[in-house]
Amino acid sequence: MKRIRLSTLLFRRIHKWVGLVLGLQFLLWALSGSVMALLDKDEVGGHGAAMGHAHPLSAETTLIDPAGIAGLGPVSGVTLRDLAGRPVYELNTPNGIRLADAVDGKAIAIDADTARTVASMMNDAPIRDVRQLAKANLEAREHKGAMWRVDFADAANSSAYVSAETGRFLVMRGDTWRTWDFFWMLHNMDYVNRTSFNHPFIIFVGFGALWLSGTGFYLLFKSFSRADFRWLRRRRARPASA
Amino acid sequence: MAKIRWPLVVRRTHKWLALLVGLQVVLWTLTGFYMVVIHIDTIHGDHLVRAPVVQPYDLAALTPPSRIVAAEPGTSEVRLQRRLDRPVWRAETPAGPVLYDAASGTRLAPPTEQEIRALARRIYTGDGAIVAVRLLTTAPQEMQARKPPYWQVEFAGWNRPTLYLSPQTGELLSRRHALWRGFDFAWMLHIMDYDERSDVNNPLLRVATWSTFAMAISGAWLLIWSFPRRKKKKKTAA
Repeated sequence: MKRIRLSTLLFRRIHKWVGLVLGLQFLLWALSGSVMALLDKDEVGGHGAAMGHAHPLSAETTLIDPAGIAGLGPVSGVTLRDLAGRPVYELNTPNGIRLADAVDGKAIAIDADTARTVASMMNDAPIRDVRQLAKANLEAREHKGAMWRVDFADAANSSAYVSAETGRFLVMRGDTWRTWDFFWMLHNMDYVNRTSFNHPFIIFVGFGALWLSGTGFYLLFKSFSRADFRWLRRRRARPASA
Repeated sequence: MAKIRWPLVVRRTHKWLALLVGLQVVLWTLTGFYMVVIHIDTIHGDHLVRAPVVQPYDLAALTPPSRIVAAEPGTSEVRLQRRLDRPVWRAETPAGPVLYDAASGTRLAPPTEQEIRALARRIYTGDGAIVAVRLLTTAPQEMQARKPPYWQVEFAGWNRPTLYLSPQTGELLSRRHALWRGFDFAWMLHIMDYDERSDVNNPLLRVATWSTFAMAISGAWLLIWSFPRRKKKKKTAA
C-alpha cells in the first residue's frame, strides 16, 4: 500500500520538476503546433509542389550544336531549356554553371529584367522591388548560389526568388509562409537556421518531454475518482426517472 | 458569494483537459522523439543510393539536342545524362520523359525488367540481393501522391530497402526503407491525419492542439502553487 503511494508521489514530483524546467518549451510546442495546424497549408505553400512552368521549345527555331560553343572547358552537363521565352543551353563547366543562347551561342547573364520576366510568370501582381542576393537568405535557404529577389505588391507581400546562375524560378514566399516559418522555428528549436530538427538540444528537451507526458499520463489514472464521473451517471439517470 | 478557489479550478481544468488529450500528448512526444532522434537524411535514405558520377562528355561525338526537339513536339527540356555509362538525351515531353541514345540519336525503348535490375543494382549502395522486382500499376501507401506505373525493386536487409524506378527512363523516383516507413507512421500519428497522412489542417488536429495548449497553460499556472511548502517552512524556521 505504502509502495504504491510512494510511486505516485515520485511520478508527481517528476511531473512537477520536468514541468518547471521544460514546461516553457512544451507550451511553445503546443502553441506553434496549434498555429501551424491553423495556417492553411496551401497559403503557406513551398512544400514540394510543382514549381515553375514547362514552356515547350519551338521545333522551328534553328539551334546550334552545344559542341560548337567555345571556351567552356570540359562540360559535365548540358540542358536545353526555355528561359523567358527563348531557348538556352545550361552548361556545367569547371567554373560553374554557364548559360548560352541556343541560337547564337552567346553567353547570357541573368539581369534584373530577366529575373522580373521569370518571376512574373509565377505572379500577375505588379513588381515593387528587385534585388540581387549573393547567397540565399533565410527565406530561400533551400537553394544555393546567387539569386534575385523579386518583391510583388500583392496582399501576401509575395517574394519570388530566381536563380542568378540559371534564371530558374526557385521559390515563392508570402506573409503566411513567414508566419508559419517563425512558428516552425519555435517548434524545431533551431533558432539560427530554422531547418534542422535533429540537433542535440531538441533531442535533450524531447527526451525530457517524454518524462513529462509519460508521468502525466500515469497520473491521469491516479487523479480521477469515481466521484469525478458522478455527473455522468446523474445525467443518464435523469431521463430515465422523468 | 463564495470566493473562487483558483488552485482548485486550475487543477480541475488541467486534469480534465489532460483526460481529453492525454493519450495524444503521449503519442506526440513519442513520435516527436522518433523524428528528432533519427536524422532526416537517414530517413530520406541518402545512404542507400549512389550520387551520379560527374564526368565530362565528348559533346562533338553526340547528336545535337535540336534533333530531339524536332522528333518530340512539345518538349520543354532536353537534358544530357548517363544510363549504364551510355550518354542519353532525356526529353521532357507532354507524355512524360523519353530517352534518346545521344550518340546515334535513336529513341530508346522503355527499360526491360533485366535492365531495371541492372540499373537498381548500380544505384543501390548496399550488398543485399534483389528480393523482388514488380511493375506496379496501383500506388502503394508509401509512394504517397506519386502516380503509377513504376518499377518496385526490393532488396534483402533488415530495413527492407526498396527503390522505385521510372518505367519510361529507368531513373530513380523514390527510395524507401523501414526507418522511412516508421517515420511516415509517426508523422501520421503526429498530424492526426489517418487517411492521407498529409493534411496538417484537419479539424481533429486543430481541436487537439488548442486543447493541449490550454492544458499546458493550466499546467504552467499550477506550478505557482506546486513549490510553496518548503518556503513556508524556511520562513518559520528563520
